[in-house]
Amino acid sequence: MNILVRHPVVAGALAFVASASILVLANDVWLMRLTELLIWILFAASLNFLISFSGMVSFGHAAYFGLGCYGFALSAKAGVPIIVAVMIGPLVATFAAAIYGALCVRLNKIYFAMLTLACAEITYSVIHQWYDLTGGDTGLTQFAPPSLDLGARGFALLVLACCAGGLLVIRLVLNAPLGLVIRSVGENPGRAAALGFSQRQVQWVAFVIAGSLAGVAGTLYSAFQGNAFPDYAGMRFSLAPLVMVILGGLGSFFGPVIGAIVEKGLTGVLSHYVVFWELIMGVVVITVTVYSPHGFWGLIKRVINKGAPRG
Amino acid sequence: MLIMKDVWASYGHIEALHGINLEVHAGEVVCLIGRNGAGKTSTVRAIVQDEIRVMKGTVEFFGKSLVNLPRREVIRSGIGYVPEDRRVFASLTVAENLSVPRSYGTSRLFDLNEVYELFPKLKELRARVAGVLSGGEQQMLSIARSLLTNPQLLVLDEPHEGLAPVITQQVIAAVNRLKSKGVSMLISEQHVRLIRECADRVYVIDRGHTVFTGTVEELDANTEIARKYLMVTRDSITSERM
Repeated sequence: MNILVRHPVVAGALAFVASASILVLANDVWLMRLTELLIWILFAASLNFLISFSGMVSFGHAAYFGLGCYGFALSAKAGVPIIVAVMIGPLVATFAAAIYGALCVRLNKIYFAMLTLACAEITYSVIHQWYDLTGGDTGLTQFAPPSLDLGARGFALLVLACCAGGLLVIRLVLNAPLGLVIRSVGENPGRAAALGFSQRQVQWVAFVIAGSLAGVAGTLYSAFQGNAFPDYAGMRFSLAPLVMVILGGLGSFFGPVIGAIVEKGLTGVLSHYVVFWELIMGVVVITVTVYSPHGFWGLIKRVINKGAPRG
Repeated sequence: MLIMKDVWASYGHIEALHGINLEVHAGEVVCLIGRNGAGKTSTVRAIVQDEIRVMKGTVEFFGKSLVNLPRREVIRSGIGYVPEDRRVFASLTVAENLSVPRSYGTSRLFDLNEVYELFPKLKELRARVAGVLSGGEQQMLSIARSLLTNPQLLVLDEPHEGLAPVITQQVIAAVNRLKSKGVSMLISEQHVRLIRECADRVYVIDRGHTVFTGTVEELDANTEIARKYLMVTRDSITSERM
């Protein structure tokens, strides 16, 4: 087990093969659940890239998720071929991240977080109120064939490929010279400036990367659900990946994967049996934050390291 | 290469420098000395435009004004800066820390191999996370990282601050190695031994202005300056020398 922690590429490849096998074997109900989970993993991983490695806590990451949804939905509704529409979603999100990012990275810490929230609220309001274009509250439906005509299993495998691809992109960026600079700025902007780097430029690049990956997740979510609603750019969709990142463990690459599994698993089970399930979720988040700041991934690593032979 | 003329600078409304004059020539090692709070760090910060604002006077590097330039532009113009707190990127390994800098200089004097040759300890520790290194090792890493920008002038702010005496020796050795390679340095320092072993010239700073300029020997000869501004006597200088 310890070897998997030490060699994340091997762990990732094994996880990919195992996930694909599960998707091939899963029944329809589980197929739907797992497809949604994979989309959330990608969304949470994009936010984790921003928070854990770039030093930017965003309260409005749903803006790019929502714009990914609407970019895809509106272009598909306009008659653009599906294959092109699928690419337009992330492009819209990337474009918005470039604009919002240029504004947000001018500030730091809580001011940055509040600005991201403001940008997301603007996006939500525009989507919500531009009835003629977005359908307002009623949202958009029937703009693309179910599961993009790939069948539920084919679509699930596409989502798995996108999720794995997204994680791979994050991993490659983090280990590339660009990623080292992003991590340096995220850890200590002043010291990075003492090496001649512009904090704003570096953070803007990281912001755009995170926004575009959220856009990919949003596009897949819209295709999966077969609809697009303003809520997808709203506060609830900004908080959910934040909770996943915290539950999984800040500062770790695999944290959001574990966080998304825990969050979706707990939500699924609790909401089935408990009326006030959100109350219990809140207690879980508080407990993890206080007693295990490195989240469930931190716990898993601790257990693995304990079991590993010493020396 | 670096000329500061009558520099007045402040942190917000609080004035810290009241007329600093300083010059560093190519290949020279210049030390700034003075008591705590005299303005050594503020002088260094006024050069690299770090948190302090120059209100009056000129700071020129090869004839180019540095006043009000963004810090990154100062660094890119060829000044390597190792700040007082020498903070490394704690979550990155030593090798990753050394992969972060870009070379801005034209000399290309330092690459990774050269730096490992200068600081062999860093090569041994290259796979280790920088956050767990000792203070001295972090200082080495911090200096090495700045060298990889291939600066024409290396500015070190109190490189011995908070280090054990045995580590201090390593830092002195490192500075001497750099000096032998012809690296120009400006060092804000209180450690008399480093000043004696490395400095070509010394500036004594007090209450934000320059009160003495000269060689170490000239400083030795001027007991009035040593007593008044450094709170050291000839006896203490001599004992430090021994």
